[in-house]
Amino acid sequence: MNGIRVTFGRELRAYFFSPLAYGVLASFLFITGITFATLIGYLNDAPSAVGAPMEYFFGGTILFWLALAFVGPILPMRLLSEERRSGSLEILMTAPVTETQVVVGKYLAALTFYLVLWAPTVLYAVIVASYSKLDWGPLASAYLGVLGIGALFLSVGLFASGISRNQIVAALVGFALVFALFILGLLEFLVNDQSLRQVLSYLNLIQHMEDFSKGIVDTRRLVYYFSGTAFFLFLTSRALAANKWR
Amino acid sequence: MIEAQGLTRRYGDFTAVEDVSFSVESGQIVGMLGPNGAGKTTTIRMITGFLPPTAGRVSLAGIDLEQKPVEARRQLGYLPETVALYPEMRVREYLGYRARLEGVRGKRAGEAIDRSIERCLLGEVRDQIIATLSKGYRQRVGLATAILHDPEVLILDEPTVGLDPKQIIAIRDLIRDLGRERTLLLSTHILPEVELLCQRVMIIDRGRIIAQGTPESLRQQWLGRTVVTVTLKQGAPDAVERLRAIDGVVGVTANGAQPPVHFSLECAEGRDPREAVFRLAVERGWVLLELQQSKASLEDIFVRLTTREQDEAAAGDEAAAGDGGEA
Repeated sequence: MNGIRVTFGRELRAYFFSPLAYGVLASFLFITGITFATLIGYLNDAPSAVGAPMEYFFGGTILFWLALAFVGPILPMRLLSEERRSGSLEILMTAPVTETQVVVGKYLAALTFYLVLWAPTVLYAVIVASYSKLDWGPLASAYLGVLGIGALFLSVGLFASGISRNQIVAALVGFALVFALFILGLLEFLVNDQSLRQVLSYLNLIQHMEDFSKGIVDTRRLVYYFSGTAFFLFLTSRALAANKWR
Repeated sequence: MIEAQGLTRRYGDFTAVEDVSFSVESGQIVGMLGPNGAGKTTTIRMITGFLPPTAGRVSLAGIDLEQKPVEARRQLGYLPETVALYPEMRVREYLGYRARLEGVRGKRAGEAIDRSIERCLLGEVRDQIIATLSKGYRQRVGLATAILHDPEVLILDEPTVGLDPKQIIAIRDLIRDLGRERTLLLSTHILPEVELLCQRVMIIDRGRIIAQGTPESLRQQWLGRTVVTVTLKQGAPDAVERLRAIDGVVGVTANGAQPPVHFSLECAEGRDPREAVFRLAVERGWVLLELQQSKASLEDIFVRLTTREQDEAAAGDEAAAGDGGEA
């Protein structure tokens, strides 16, 4: 427990001292801000105005997915690759902590910073609520989806960082893996086999997010995110323990 | 104490370390010597648990490293060869982080940090950002990290690299001090450092321990008899004969006919005839100008051992090449 807490504290502080994190934060807010403004403009245009703005905001646009696909690998890219590159991994892993504690601590720091990224978007909901009626239930479930899918993507990104020595390589590997996860669900429309199609439809993240933003919470999906995250964190701690790439 | 048994590490076909066994008792400083690429760092990484051995066992302070890795590492303070710190942190902040990682908390942590800062001469940079520190200071921050939690076992890989002469003396004093009540394994290239600090030495070459013991026993084992040089102001006709008669002297050679005259006395193993030579000179009224026991340095032993091994290896390679074997 101590190992998780101390690693978490150190990494979260490091985020707030790093220019990269502020760059990510700024671009993320820029993208979500543009998305929000565009949506509001679009929905204000009388003939086309159908639906609730926050529902479109989460998952209704490709920008949401672009932001998520970049943030997932970029936030954790430094966490382990940099320790490996600089050699500080050696001092860290000879301290009385386990690989799992280090991985979980670092992961939780990335997840916390990810939530910090999303925190300002609550303002958008508040703005909408002050001008029209806002259904808070679907909003809450949409954030649940954001948390779940983000948690999964971040664990994939951390795994990529755990197997690389270079943070850029880590980000690229992470991006490829996240993209693969994303594509997996879209294959639903390309296969003919009924049962395979059924399986793939469970993994269709776009569908997940659409449902979440409508207020539909399917616990199977949450189980998918949770077990996927646990799986990638497990792989990451194995990668740290193996120590074969030097 | 440190106990290593049959440590072996292979990378594919390449064997970096083979069947290394040794133990270091508490209150002892043991030096590890070896040329570059001999397997010192690999051995140290296996002892610290950073690198899992292909075969063999390690225990630190009596705790098995494989079965209870966290408990064993709690007893360990480690200064790695490359001291990599977090550059964005301040010295005191970094030590605070390390103290928490080692499970030292609250008031005890503050005391431990202050003590480490003082012992490693870091007072003037305590609030400086690590990225701005010189190599010598970073080295000392690494050392401060290693002793922070007062561990029973200390493993220091090249602790005085990058320090200026004055700091080297201070850090050596610190190491000697630490070695009194702890188990200390020291890896270094600096041979005089080993003679100054270590009670025991092991020499590693090509992944094996090729010699170990006290510096004294290594000398006797590998360099044979000691030689005492005697210089007399005037030669005496019976000098050689009388010197030869001293108990423990095996052979005498006289060098030079012009005064002063030098005699080389070859001594039997473990014998020191210097006192007898002095008494003989007094008795015979010889004027004794110099009396010196030439002591082979560890450096001589080291060079002899490692070059001999290399010569054998070269011979082996030639043989292999002659057989048409692959390089």
